[in-house]
Amino acid sequence: MTAPIEATRLTRSFGAEFAVDGIDLEVGTGEIHAIVGLNGAGKTTLMRLLLGMLHPDSGKARLLGSDTQDATSAVWREVGHLIETPFAYPELTVRDNVMASALLHSVPPSSIGAAVDRVIEQFELGHWAKRRARVLSLGNRQRLGLASALVHEPSVLILDEPANALDPAGVVFIRDLLRQYAGEGAAVFVSSHHLDQLARVAHSITVMHRGRQVGMLDPGGIDLEQSFFEIVHQFDMAIREAQS
Amino acid sequence: MRAAYRVEIRKLLRSRVAFVATALLGLLLPAMGLGFYTVAVSGGTGSLADKAAALLTGEGWVGYLGQVDQIAAVALFLGAGVVVAWVFGREHSDRTFPSLFALPVGRGTIAGAKFVVLIVWMVVLSVLIAVVALILGVVAGVAPWDTGVVLSQLSRLVVISLGAAVLSLTMGWVASIGRGYLSAIGTMSVIVALSQIAVLFGTGGWFPFAVPGLMAVAGMEGIPTLTPIQLVLVPGLAAASMWLTVGWWRRVEVV
Repeated sequence: MTAPIEATRLTRSFGAEFAVDGIDLEVGTGEIHAIVGLNGAGKTTLMRLLLGMLHPDSGKARLLGSDTQDATSAVWREVGHLIETPFAYPELTVRDNVMASALLHSVPPSSIGAAVDRVIEQFELGHWAKRRARVLSLGNRQRLGLASALVHEPSVLILDEPANALDPAGVVFIRDLLRQYAGEGAAVFVSSHHLDQLARVAHSITVMHRGRQVGMLDPGGIDLEQSFFEIVHQFDMAIREAQS
Repeated sequence: MRAAYRVEIRKLLRSRVAFVATALLGLLLPAMGLGFYTVAVSGGTGSLADKAAALLTGEGWVGYLGQVDQIAAVALFLGAGVVVAWVFGREHSDRTFPSLFALPVGRGTIAGAKFVVLIVWMVVLSVLIAVVALILGVVAGVAPWDTGVVLSQLSRLVVISLGAAVLSLTMGWVASIGRGYLSAIGTMSVIVALSQIAVLFGTGGWFPFAVPGLMAVAGMEGIPTLTPIQLVLVPGLAAASMWLTVGWWRRVEVV
């Protein structure tokens, strides 16, 4: 059976620099797969390739078995994403933003009201529902972005730093939410700078460095931070040796 | 497809930029026309009175609405252009552009919906300008009522306003490829300057951006008669820019 999220020798460069270099990856049904790396490692570029926001130089990105360069509406209907900036139009109210996202994700008109109410309550945005997004704090904008990404109950989730700007309670909430989605059969691909956060929720963790997949971390491992830096350091040493 | 229209309508209705542009163009523009006309026919002396009088295309309703035509020919391009630039450029400036990827509704459809909503807004705005100009003219008593003349001049005003406004749809393409509205604002200033130069050199008829201005002063001494091909270039350029923009939105990457 094809994994809902799949990258095969995925490569993309900007000029002479490879942002993503031959990545192979699979995220199965009900799995939370995390990706970690230093700034500029290529995590966001990889997610953009998986979502069809960038065209690969070579290799394939597939969601639900379809190449993301020519995926149909039926495939995109199943995908929820938050890459960098939340879906939050400043002039629209919180409720209008979520409704706009529901419309663009093809939620049937008869279900939109209930779907919007559900995520506004789930993300504790009720107090701000009638306020314009421009007045929201960073944390609440992030909650709005997540609510907009999930309003259509996707079966594939791709989230770049979903806990960005959230308070500790928000971080716990996101972890529970990801578990819940995976428990219901969604494939979840998530990036984060916080190794501890990932360890508590991910089934598998890929380490990305200089555009490449340089190792895996055991989510149940004792010292993830040390293991992470060892993997990165070893890769850098190997590169230096190869160049000298 | 309906989803994209609903979202774009809501965004435009809630936008301050569109609200301010509608209020300024819909109310202030006819008032300015009336002001210039009043100065022109006052018999006063001074540079403003002389200039206003020199731009008179006739007397009574013809002269008054002719002044509104001339202002509309420039103001609609600039004013509507700001709104068009914002509608397309804000997706980059507000960093909402990546959210429009990986959706069941394609980006080409979203860009198309933006254009359709903008064109409807331009039609409403052009009619609003004509209605406000009519009310101001009646209240100010610019001339005795003549249904034939008034309706003909108001129709002309709507056509010139709409012509100038649809030319600003080209800014959708500029704001898209420039990834922000500032590029389009800068381009509009250059276009207005080029229009002046084209008219000065007598080639304005072949420069579509100058055509609404030439229509507004048609019949005055030294103004060339516009050919049907020159008139068709106006909607033609708007259509071509929409086609280019939709194509760009379909193919573009997030960078």
